[in-house]
Amino acid sequence: MNLRRAAWAAVFFVLAVAAAPPLWLELASFRVLQVTNADGERLEVFERAASAAPGETLEWRLAATNRSDRALEDVVLVIPVPPGTRYLADSAEPLELGGVVVRPEFSFDGGVRFARPPLYKKVVVVVDGIEQEQEVEVKPEAYTHVRWVLPALDAGQTVTVRLRTVVR
Amino acid sequence: MKLASVGSKFVFVLFFVLGLALAAGTPAGTEIRNQASAKYTDSSGQPQTTTSNEVVTVVQPVYGFTLTPDGTEAAPGQIKTGLQGAPVYFNYTVTNTGNIADTVQLTAPQGTSDSFDFTSVKIYHDANCNGTIDPGEAEVSSVSLDADASTCVIVEAVIPAGEADGNTGHANLSGTSVGDPAQTDTANWARAVVTSQAVLDAAKGSSPSGAVVPGAAIDYAVQGSNKGGSAAGAVTGVAVVDGSPLDGILVADAVPAHTTYVLGSAGGTAGAGSATVIYKVGGAWTTTEPASGSDVSEVALLIEGAGAFFPQGAQYRLGFQVTVDAGTPAGTTIENTATVNFDANGDGDAGDTGEQVGSNTTRTPVAASRAVLNGPAGDPDSDGAGFASSYTDPGGTTWTYTETTDTSDPRNDDAQRINEAVHGGDVVYFKNSLTNGGNVEDSYTLDLSGVPAGWTCQVMAADATTPMANPVGPLVAGATLDYVVKCSIPANVTTASDTDLTARATSTNDPAVWNETHDVIPPVLSGYALDLAKDGASTDNDPTNDNPASQAVDPGATAFYGFEVANTGQNPDTYDLSVTVPAGMTATVYPDPDCDGVLDSPAPAPVTDSGLVNPGSKACFVLAVQVPDGAPPLTQDPNDPADDNVTITATSNANPAISDTITTDVAVNPVADLRFSPDRNGTVTSPGTIVYTHTVSNLGNEAASVTFAESGSTHPGWTYQISTDGGATWTDVASAAPINLTPGSSQQVQVRVIVPDGEPIGAIDTNQITANANYPTATDDSASVTDTTTVVGGDLRIEKRGETCADAACATVTSADGSQAKPGEYIRYTVTASNIGTADLKKVIVSDPLPGYTDFVSVSASTSVAGAQPLFSTDGTNWSTTAPATLATGQAVFVGLDSNGDGAIDENDLLAPGESLTLVFTVQVQ
Repeated sequence: MNLRRAAWAAVFFVLAVAAAPPLWLELASFRVLQVTNADGERLEVFERAASAAPGETLEWRLAATNRSDRALEDVVLVIPVPPGTRYLADSAEPLELGGVVVRPEFSFDGGVRFARPPLYKKVVVVVDGIEQEQEVEVKPEAYTHVRWVLPALDAGQTVTVRLRTVVR
Repeated sequence: MKLASVGSKFVFVLFFVLGLALAAGTPAGTEIRNQASAKYTDSSGQPQTTTSNEVVTVVQPVYGFTLTPDGTEAAPGQIKTGLQGAPVYFNYTVTNTGNIADTVQLTAPQGTSDSFDFTSVKIYHDANCNGTIDPGEAEVSSVSLDADASTCVIVEAVIPAGEADGNTGHANLSGTSVGDPAQTDTANWARAVVTSQAVLDAAKGSSPSGAVVPGAAIDYAVQGSNKGGSAAGAVTGVAVVDGSPLDGILVADAVPAHTTYVLGSAGGTAGAGSATVIYKVGGAWTTTEPASGSDVSEVALLIEGAGAFFPQGAQYRLGFQVTVDAGTPAGTTIENTATVNFDANGDGDAGDTGEQVGSNTTRTPVAASRAVLNGPAGDPDSDGAGFASSYTDPGGTTWTYTETTDTSDPRNDDAQRINEAVHGGDVVYFKNSLTNGGNVEDSYTLDLSGVPAGWTCQVMAADATTPMANPVGPLVAGATLDYVVKCSIPANVTTASDTDLTARATSTNDPAVWNETHDVIPPVLSGYALDLAKDGASTDNDPTNDNPASQAVDPGATAFYGFEVANTGQNPDTYDLSVTVPAGMTATVYPDPDCDGVLDSPAPAPVTDSGLVNPGSKACFVLAVQVPDGAPPLTQDPNDPADDNVTITATSNANPAISDTITTDVAVNPVADLRFSPDRNGTVTSPGTIVYTHTVSNLGNEAASVTFAESGSTHPGWTYQISTDGGATWTDVASAAPINLTPGSSQQVQVRVIVPDGEPIGAIDTNQITANANYPTATDDSASVTDTTTVVGGDLRIEKRGETCADAACATVTSADGSQAKPGEYIRYTVTASNIGTADLKKVIVSDPLPGYTDFVSVSASTSVAGAQPLFSTDGTNWSTTAPATLATGQAVFVGLDSNGDGAIDENDLLAPGESLTLVFTVQVQ
């Protein structure tokens, strides 16, 4: 009986492994709490975020692992800014990968176009009764997606990118 | 100081939803969902996408509220005058600033830095926020509010009788959150000042009392009366109207922001003096309404009079109407406060304490006016303008669409339909646009309906890669979000009609607010298709050249046909290959990787299916049709597909309804092959007779009619006769009746040679007997044997016959006359030497050489002579009773008759008349 169960487990495991994509993504969120220790220093503490209150800061960490035995190229990691939160300016950090610094890029249109800040969008305004198109800067609060474009990810390599959002 | 007693019999717990400012944050319980995605290029250069786990974070409750106006005891937020012994009323607003419904406990403690304590302090809920305690508005100790909602309360404080003018009393409306008792607001001090002069109050009301949406009207009314101890007087030059300064009491009310005055709506009355409604246009008062209500910034009631003309108890009222401007964001609070300027002490100005009275402030929240527009990309309002008629999906495929709209539909129904052909196995995309058509930030649930069973359809972000989890948004008022509907159609699906995928966007805050757009997929064509054809002829769109060329082969041969199957569908597929051939033939299909139509050597393993063939690829094969030995002739018309007798069918494994068949011919050639054997040699005495046995065989594939002819004897008087019935009847060779031989059959014929007397010893006669076969269609064939007969003087006759056997012991005879033998078979020769004379024969020795292309197996001998023994030799000199075990090529075996048993062969060894010596010699065909 145990053998049979083990055999089934083995079959399931094999199937599970076979179905796993070469690039494995794991997203986690943490509440960022400010605490003061006994020496009066202010420290940041991270708690797994099953829940959060408006105004609290959440840190999103995306761990990407190349589980294949070959390098993957042009790896684009995207973390959306989830509804109900806003992006915290400057919280998405560059990623150093093999001596190359990968800077995050941002989108305000649902992840269609990305660029490095500052981002601009064109709006139509009425000045003295005349419609004019003006370019205005998009504030970080309006960002919808953040991405990191990695030239390659070696076999077995894991990278973690992170950003913070504030619960609206 | 004493704590104000708060009546407990009118404690109401009421929830008021006057509007959602959304300033307090995401509602408690909201799930924040997030899922990351990635794109990459794998090791084979293929672009891939993947997604992470989904993380769900639940928003926690946060409690908070405000009481306004704020004020300290030293600097109260509001100051009211009142007569000694009479009540004064302080107006407050309570606002829930948390993200969850809450109850605020209310108390109104009295001050310590004042002249007196109020006789009583009561808190009333001013449900309609009109600044006065209306009938039915109860005393409360708490109010309950939804998140972001606000309401009004009034603190009624009664000044003790006998208080002197100028004395002050303080009260402080204080609140505590029930949900989070740490949330308090205790700095809302108000002051009452005792006076015996005129006191004009001002209570302002608005209707409706609740929230409004853009476009709605608000009726404002400010009214009051002289509740003081003497008449109120006119203020000199209280307003400059149409350029003239006028005296009187002015009740002024500014048109609130986000609203527009409604022309003709203003009206007012006064219990004394002359009341006129005036309008502030461009910063100046006028009695004439302008042409546009938006030019009116303020409305006032000018009550003209002289001196102390407005007696105690006299009342006034000013009313007008505004409309809420379009586009006013939800959560905006339209506040309005009226002011009254009068002269209380007779000095002609309104600068003394209590001479400028502010009404309560009405707060009209602008409610969420929710609307959602959902349509094809670029045209969320579905009016046909801005429609993006094409979209390129992440795989690089560009789709085009045709839009249909129905503006007569209350919700502006619309659809976009793919113009391109769609096949099973395709992944189709639609890009849609969703616009928040309301005045409040809103989130939406996007639901897809009409998805056929087995299809996988997803709502993706505009990048068509990131899955979009419900709810989507929030979108601020007027904002547009593009999204993509991605549908994977199962490979084996076909549809006869359009498939209507309905994407409905529903406001998460008001399920009645929704809008649909239809993403329509035209009838799905089969994703599986194939083209079966001869080599090189698939995918040329010419079905007339698909059949392989006809083949004609001999019996026993193999006909080969090269063919290929091309996957012209959209999906990988495997094809079963089935072949029909005429009965008796066998069909085998071999892979033909080089597509040359020739069976490779060595032959690959046969197949019964094509293996997996990718779309746009083909696989080649060779069909081998083995025609059996002896197959009869088969005639086919190579130009008439109707009579084709070979069919090849390739059937899709994924969809067995999809198949293709090609046909061709296999024809069997007529073959003529007559065999006649063996040549015979014999000896005969003169006179004498000898009979030779021959076998005539038809190895062709048609029945043959066989007749015989002879070259003729070289010796006159010799007679040759033939028998085709086993020797029963004899005829001249040329006169023999034809014999009919079916394909593969044989028949023995005997040739008899009759030698006349007197022929010389050593005379040799040779006669060639020819069998002529007549075939119906095959070319006629013939074969000959030669019989050589030698006249011998003695009386020793040598007869030799052979038989072919399957085994060395000759238990199984395969050819009775030894005329045919296959490699590995055995031939047993029997040589018999007989004394046919009348005298003894001496030193009889029989020899037989080992035939070419054979291996020696065994030899034995016997004799009919009593007491005699045969002796064996391989050189004719040395004799042995033991038969030789080996015999080399070219050697002969000798058998002699040792009649006297002396172990030698000499003159003393006799073969008596009628006796014989027999040699049996077995060889194996190489």
